[in-house]
Amino acid sequence: MSLDPCLGVESQLQPYLDRQLTPGEVSMIEQHLGTCAYCRERYHFEAKLRDTVKTVCCGDPVPEGLVERVRLHCRGQGAA
Amino acid sequence: MLLVADSVGLVADPPSDQAEPTAAAERAAEARDRVHFEEEALEHADQLYRIALRLSGSQQTAEELVQETYLRAFRGWRGYRPGSNLAAWLATILRNVFLDEARKQSRRPAQESFEDTSEYYLYNHLSEAGAEPQEAVLNRLSGGAIAESLGDIPPMFREVVVLVDIGDFSYQDAADILGIPIGTVMSRLHRGRRALKQALASRASEDAS
Ligand SMILES: [Zn+2]
Repeated sequence: MSLDPCLGVESQLQPYLDRQLTPGEVSMIEQHLGTCAYCRERYHFEAKLRDTVKTVCCGDPVPEGLVERVRLHCRGQGAA
Repeated sequence: MLLVADSVGLVADPPSDQAEPTAAAERAAEARDRVHFEEEALEHADQLYRIALRLSGSQQTAEELVQETYLRAFRGWRGYRPGSNLAAWLATILRNVFLDEARKQSRRPAQESFEDTSEYYLYNHLSEAGAEPQEAVLNRLSGGAIAESLGDIPPMFREVVVLVDIGDFSYQDAADILGIPIGTVMSRLHRGRRALKQALASRASEDAS
């Protein structure tokens, strides 16, 4: 972590959300988040942004009959 | 299962006491392949479609990409190693189809000309714009706004964000799918996510004006 703990959290926030940090790094971040409202607010925002992008996109409607059309397409091309 | 597949893979030649495969045996093998293919591969159609939609930005193109992906997947089905990550294998094909199509339309992928911004770019932007809490803006975020914002990101960054943040692939899967080192996945992901925040921020100001 850098000297300014808030900058340290900023730089490690994405790997933290990706669960890429060591247990030691995780506990440093979590300790800081427990005491610093500035970082906590931003952490919540970033986590929610991630979540929103995933949820919204995973809710994309898949066109009806897609699988059937794919199946027919494959068979029709003599591939299957 | 894996052990069996691996040990079979180590045998260079099939046992020679077997006769040459007859046409009937070959047809039977093809029929078996088709059944396996349809049972296993087609299960991933929804996931592939959503990735295709986010890569291409168009529903029609997404369906065409998925069709072509499955066609190639079936033709290459015997190259798929049972027990390995089927979703990643299919996504690799999808990505190649996408690249081929992009090349045909000679849309040269825009290079990374956007500037690097703060991790908190979007948050700060919304704070300055400010009447409502930043998170309220997220609640209003629609699929369309995300799609358009993804479309603003250069493809080489977009594809990493789509695979990891939407397709739920690990860094390692993304590295395998894209054929790049894992370190490159991480740096593109880093820049791609920041670019997405920038794009979302400029859309947010358009909405406000
Ligand atoms: Zn802090």
